[in-house]
Amino acid sequence: MGDDTQPVIAVHGLHKTLGTQEVLRGVELQVARGETCVILGRSGCGKSVLLRHLIGLLKPTSGKVLIDGQDIAQLPERKLLEVRRKVGMLFQSAALFDSMSVEQNVAFPLLEAGIKDPIVIRERVTEALDMVDLLGSEQKMPEKLSGGMRKRVGLARTIVGRAQCILYDEPTTGLDPITSDSINHLIRRLQTRLRVTSVVVTHDMKTAFHTADHVVFLHEGRVYFNGTIETLRATTDPVMTDFIEGRSEESYA
Amino acid sequence: MLAALGRPILSLAAALGRPPIAFARYMGELAFLIKDTAVSICTAPIRWRLFLRQVAEIGFRSQLVVGVTGAFTGAVFAAQTYFQFHRLGMESAVGAVVSVSMFRELGPVLTGLMVAGRVGAAIAAEIGTMKVTEQIDALRALGVQPIDYLVVPRTLAMLISMPLLVAECVGLSVLAGYFVATQVLNISDAYYLNTMIKFTTGRDIQMALTKGFFFGIIIVFVSCHQGLNAREGAVGVGRAPTESVVISSLGILIANFFLSFALNIVYPGGI
Repeated sequence: MGDDTQPVIAVHGLHKTLGTQEVLRGVELQVARGETCVILGRSGCGKSVLLRHLIGLLKPTSGKVLIDGQDIAQLPERKLLEVRRKVGMLFQSAALFDSMSVEQNVAFPLLEAGIKDPIVIRERVTEALDMVDLLGSEQKMPEKLSGGMRKRVGLARTIVGRAQCILYDEPTTGLDPITSDSINHLIRRLQTRLRVTSVVVTHDMKTAFHTADHVVFLHEGRVYFNGTIETLRATTDPVMTDFIEGRSEESYA
Repeated sequence: MLAALGRPILSLAAALGRPPIAFARYMGELAFLIKDTAVSICTAPIRWRLFLRQVAEIGFRSQLVVGVTGAFTGAVFAAQTYFQFHRLGMESAVGAVVSVSMFRELGPVLTGLMVAGRVGAAIAAEIGTMKVTEQIDALRALGVQPIDYLVVPRTLAMLISMPLLVAECVGLSVLAGYFVATQVLNISDAYYLNTMIKFTTGRDIQMALTKGFFFGIIIVFVSCHQGLNAREGAVGVGRAPTESVVISSLGILIANFFLSFALNIVYPGGI
């Protein structure tokens, strides 16, 4: 990767229109090396759309997306391969290949990277599964796994290729509070053990408080708040406090 | 007055213009898919293991349905031809009619329709499910091109399997026709074989295999396109295989008409 002072991810003036809807309206974002940036926002505010731009799954209508200083916005699909070796993504649904076992899912990126030695592959798969506490589940098929286990396998598949930056799309959505907590610990553990840069998209405040070094709040397609977790805790902005405390304008009466 | 008339006329023009535009757009998308697949075949490494798995799925496992279709069509075709020709005392021509018709028209078309139903629907459903469960995005995120991984192995397997399936379908239909004609309808097997061999040429076989190849192209690209463009939800995934079968079948029947004329220039019929 590049030098340590340069942000790993930098987004400038990102606009994205899907159909007739302008989802992102000039987003500015910088993520420093080794930090965990949490992107917060209400459902439908464009968080996942922003995340997908960071790995080239979506092309911006206008603006720049720099990964290690390289603008990936206009790169053709086949030229994005190098970027995708550096940046891994955990999907909201985990997106495991349902025709493959856990072991085959985790080994997939290694085989695609041209690693053929079965001993090396087994060692790397075991290491990745150990990291997410799933040793012993190698032969299970994805449909036999719980939601939390699927996310862990998805995470093992993301880290097995030794990605230096991991994007998490709603890692705790749909999970019970205890499983959510274990995923939050896992995100933190990966950051400290592997020193990866992480971008976590969520609307779960617990995830934000547990994992974030730096928080970005998206509102109406723009960055509304950008600061540390301490600044977030101290904010008195009504839009932010309503979100943090989960307050709608409706009454229960 | 003009303004009052103008709006309905514009609405009518828009309504009339929509289907041709949608058709042109669809054909354009198919053309791009074919181009991307051709580029991938020429530039990216081919995944031979996936290709062999698809040969088994598309070719090997389709044999029963294609064989039964061919055999019973040949048998019933021989019987119907006999019922008509018998009145004219032309029973010995049954073999030639069955053989030439099966080679030049019915064999490739029936094989195409059966493969569109069995394999095309499965391709659209599988790729469509992968699309809506983010598995295709996961492939891309892992640095794998969905065209390389999903479309190329299926395309190569289809292009190899279809001509062979057509040959199997026609072969079984000719055998079944021969059996019904000689064993059930008591046509002399010497006359039957003689006229059949006399009127069936190498050009008929080439035409059958060429049509099979083109029908394979229609099935695989229509099905992959439907899968890759499946919309979210159960309705979207459910619609992909249905539309794939309908579009492939119509495409085969319409293309067959034009192919028959075009290929008749290359492989002229008759002796």
